[in-house]
Amino acid sequence: MIKVVDLHFKYGGVDLEVLRGLGFSIEKGEFVALIGQNGAGKTTLLKQFNALLTPTGGSVEIAGLDTRKSSTGELARKVGFLFQNPDHQIFMPTVAREIGFGPKNLQLSKAQIDARVEEAAEAVGLTAYLGQNPLLLSKGQRQRVAFASVLSMKPEILVLDEPTTGQDYQEGIEIMEMVRKLNELGHTIVFVTHDMELVAAYARRVIVLSRGRVLLDDSCRNVFYRPEILKQTNLFPPQIARLAQMFPERHFERPLTVEEIYREIVNLSENKLNVCCR
Amino acid sequence: MTAEADCAGPAISVEKLTFCYPGSELKALDELSFQVSAGEFVGITGPTGAGKSSLLLCLNGIIPHFQDGKFHGAVKIDGCDTFDTSCAELARKVGSVFQDPEAQIVAPVVEEEIAFGLENLAIPPREIDQRIAESLELIGISSLRHRSTTQLSGGQKQRVAIAAAIALKPKILLLDEPTSELDPIGTMEVFEVLRRLNREHHLTVIVVEQKVNILVEYAGRLLIMKNGRIVCDAPPREVLERPELLTSVGLRPPPVGDLAFKLKQRGLYPGALPLTVGDAYQGLSECWADKGI
Repeated sequence: MIKVVDLHFKYGGVDLEVLRGLGFSIEKGEFVALIGQNGAGKTTLLKQFNALLTPTGGSVEIAGLDTRKSSTGELARKVGFLFQNPDHQIFMPTVAREIGFGPKNLQLSKAQIDARVEEAAEAVGLTAYLGQNPLLLSKGQRQRVAFASVLSMKPEILVLDEPTTGQDYQEGIEIMEMVRKLNELGHTIVFVTHDMELVAAYARRVIVLSRGRVLLDDSCRNVFYRPEILKQTNLFPPQIARLAQMFPERHFERPLTVEEIYREIVNLSENKLNVCCR
Repeated sequence: MTAEADCAGPAISVEKLTFCYPGSELKALDELSFQVSAGEFVGITGPTGAGKSSLLLCLNGIIPHFQDGKFHGAVKIDGCDTFDTSCAELARKVGSVFQDPEAQIVAPVVEEEIAFGLENLAIPPREIDQRIAESLELIGISSLRHRSTTQLSGGQKQRVAIAAAIALKPKILLLDEPTSELDPIGTMEVFEVLRRLNREHHLTVIVVEQKVNILVEYAGRLLIMKNGRIVCDAPPREVLERPELLTSVGLRPPPVGDLAFKLKQRGLYPGALPLTVGDAYQGLSECWADKGI
């Protein structure tokens, strides 16, 4: 679905390369977190996916399209973007027109557009707000409007750049749960975040960027149990993984969440106590 | 100087503070009352729209001086009522650091950024030079003095913003989600600086933060806000004892605190709940040693 080969990129007028020969491919239906320190090149990489930026070396292929030979408009049918700040992408006077803007540009019929608007609004729970001005809604609701505008394009790939920053925990979870549902329907998900607890809770695969290169590319568990490598890029594992790693002699099964380690500790304690009592 | 003499009492005193933005009946702040003593490290958290940022704007005088609206009650900073004290005067007592370092850094070079506020207070050039050196030293970023502000990492930029605020020698530092754009290590760097300023220099720190993890580790007191009110005002350990309080306002209990709370219910975690991963390690080690596990 996404194929990045020996990708190099530098901004015009700057000698330093931001992306320095990185490569990976992402298959249909994957749920990938892209992590790395401030300045690692995460946002620069995301912008390659819809040809807002194009490689200065190597190549990026999205659903079979070479980004250097495709327009942002063409790629917009394949990749949807959700940014951190919904107000950067909302501009129409009603929720319905905002959500319908993309499909309208695909030159669909009015009936098709309406159907897509309704479907997208329902997916994010905004059906009751279709006639309202999006700017009068709460920030969490505006984020959902932005999200529905992306959904109405029916992109195969959904890219989210820090989708939960500026939101409280509850709003963040609501967005990630919507993303999870889309993933279950077969959409490919790539998201950028600094929140390692969020990565542990949702991603199945993690790509760690450092200084324009791929430092690690592995399952969530394999990545978070390599703290010495993560440290090179200003990250550390979620609290539970850090705690489990402080007890190497206990051979925990690499837990990432409270529930996982809780179960192990309860088993450990109660088995031992049963033995003592006998 | 006479103003100084008039000012006495707690560092911050808020009494029945109510504020509505123009054209809104909604109370952004709803009869809030609390006091903060000099030298406290207070974390404020809560869902979006709870009134956290509005409260900070009341503490540095932006409300009511630059933001219209219905204002009732009283805010006293170092004994001075913000209503009768100009923002310029308040700026000598209260420093502010905001969420987005890009939005508040105005100068091309770090030392010019620090000098900016000082020049506005008409501090003589020789003293400005000295204060730049002091504040950079205090924050531990002296090596950045001549660097371009555009080439700094996010964590470095926020530390420059803190240095610029500290150079004005405030007694109180207000920070509104200072780490929301930062990676985990950058976040820790900022909080380590705040801890040092608080412990070694007796600076009163008030920080609004979504990451409850980090607040329980660094703050001595947590205020949890919802709908313009304070729903909880307690030390971090007491907050961890009541995780439902956090979840009910849509906040995430810190994982190690949450784990210990659940284990404690089954008698598998003794003593005080852990604020850090290190605390949890110690708590579990002791417990297992006792039980021979």
